[in-house]
Amino acid sequence: MKFGIFYELSVPRPWDGEAERSVYMNALEQVRLADELGFDQVWCVEHHFLEEYSHSSAPELFLTACAMQTKRIRVGHGIVVCVPQFNHPVRIAERAAVLDILSGGRLEMGTGRSATWTELGGFQADPDDTKKTWDEIVRCLPKMWTQERFSHRGEAFSMPSRAILPKPYQKPHPPMWVAVTSPGTELDAADRGLGSLGLTFGGVAEQEKKITEYRRRIKQCDPVGAFVNEQVNTVNFLYCHEDGEIGANTGRRLAGTFNYMASQLLAAREAYPTRSYPSQGLLPQLRQESASPADGGKVPDGLCIGDPERIIGVVKNWESAGVDRINFLLNAAETVPQQQVLDSLRLFASEVMPRFDRATPPASVATAAAGGN
Amino acid sequence: MPYSGTLDVAPLLADAPRMDGFDTEAWEIAGVEILQVTFEIDDTQMLSLLPKALHPTIPQIVIFTVARYPEGPVGAFTLAQVRLGCRAAALPRGFLLRAYCDSPAARDALARQWGFDCAAGDVRLQRYHDRISGSVTADGRDLLRVSLIDPEPISGGDIQYVANMHLAVAPGDERGVLVQVDPEYRFQRAERGRPEVAAFDRAAWNAAGVDPVWPIVASYTVCDTGFPRIRYVLDPDKPAIVGTRKLDVGG
Repeated sequence: MKFGIFYELSVPRPWDGEAERSVYMNALEQVRLADELGFDQVWCVEHHFLEEYSHSSAPELFLTACAMQTKRIRVGHGIVVCVPQFNHPVRIAERAAVLDILSGGRLEMGTGRSATWTELGGFQADPDDTKKTWDEIVRCLPKMWTQERFSHRGEAFSMPSRAILPKPYQKPHPPMWVAVTSPGTELDAADRGLGSLGLTFGGVAEQEKKITEYRRRIKQCDPVGAFVNEQVNTVNFLYCHEDGEIGANTGRRLAGTFNYMASQLLAAREAYPTRSYPSQGLLPQLRQESASPADGGKVPDGLCIGDPERIIGVVKNWESAGVDRINFLLNAAETVPQQQVLDSLRLFASEVMPRFDRATPPASVATAAAGGN
Repeated sequence: MPYSGTLDVAPLLADAPRMDGFDTEAWEIAGVEILQVTFEIDDTQMLSLLPKALHPTIPQIVIFTVARYPEGPVGAFTLAQVRLGCRAAALPRGFLLRAYCDSPAARDALARQWGFDCAAGDVRLQRYHDRISGSVTADGRDLLRVSLIDPEPISGGDIQYVANMHLAVAPGDERGVLVQVDPEYRFQRAERGRPEVAAFDRAAWNAAGVDPVWPIVASYTVCDTGFPRIRYVLDPDKPAIVGTRKLDVGG
């Protein structure tokens, strides 16, 4: 089991001159501490226009700062929106390669397609096309990274032969993932030999079924990259405190605030009826799980909030379900004071992490090597 | 926290629909045709049109709906609505600015039983070769003309309608109440196309400042639906999370 941290970089109003900088600086301090404590990865999303919920429109810059301030922690660029109106595929490949070089081969590459009309409409992207463009781009990225020159004639984009530079530091290329929110995307991940970057919170039993199918299906995959990345990564909230009640209450506040902000966004499917988005992603689940920031209900079984013993039990359940990695959302709209976030990380690292085998890689993972050809 | 509406509802209560109470009987109606046209709007006026209980969607949207009910307890009628996309706490809703209906009996029932702010108008839903259009005229004026252009079939499972919120007055709620009307839909047919707004008399819809600037989509469905028993009402002046009241809908 590997542990990571996960950033949306949410910024509560009022947006005075220091609000966004404060959120970014707090996050960097958390990343430095996580690196010292032995967390394995830090992920940062790409979102646009998602006021308060996520002010993370240039994650490659944030992750570069993370990489330059840390020694070991891997940097998860994810997910990068593989929709040409958001990002030209060449720019995706180039930025990722630079991040991999600057981090010394610590890049994990997440791919996806956005799930909100707020973003798709803002870029005038057609929701019907995003699955197609993701599929096209995700098959091109490894070629851009590994071929001396690359040319392409497709629907999402076309280009004559060019050398796309620089090349990633990891050879043949960084591990690739796809965000899994819509039902069936775990199968898309498996068919292409990609890691499953689950972005749903809670619900161990439901996830276990998906993971089982992912593991079964990836055995017959036709990988888009140079190797198969059979791994299951999931997202969770983390608030760890010696006093279980304080931990649960603070964690519920964190989860409730995150869910409340997420629910204000206009899901692609809510605005635009399309087969391309068979569900609203994680929004309905979030609405169900937490009606408000002040929701005082019981702690959902799958959430890593409470005292260390409770969290150990939850992580063991996820491990039993087949999850290889858990990434934790540490804060939302700065609802948890920075010192408490840092204390929670320290307590988790001292009391929970040692209870798990974090050295043995998943049996079927073929990892990329850093440097050299 | 997200923005909330700033609408002071007190001055509106004198003209708000007066309900008989919340213990309404459900209407179930088969073969209802619904045209819905959605646009993003210029957001400068948005907050002043929403009660304090509601958050605007991000981005802010206006939803035009024209629906033909071929039967029902008061006979056939056609109903047009203009709603603003919003959230009651975390839940998707559409706040009704105004409705028009061509049947006096339906207008009366919709106002008294579900709190529809419903005026008299000639409401039409018409299908052409290349479009489906909805229109409202009253006193010789075009109040609304919206269309779905170039319809293409889609699955009814891809359609998601949001529940209504109506500002009304009811016995025991003389200071105003938001009534949630959340029908269920069983789709028989669904189509989708480009949206068009050819006429929109904002003043006639209590929609001053609502400027439909960016088209999203138009849809047309045939479905079994109706008007359900009322399950929730909200205090318009309090955040929905603390101002929501669940009604006893048993029996």
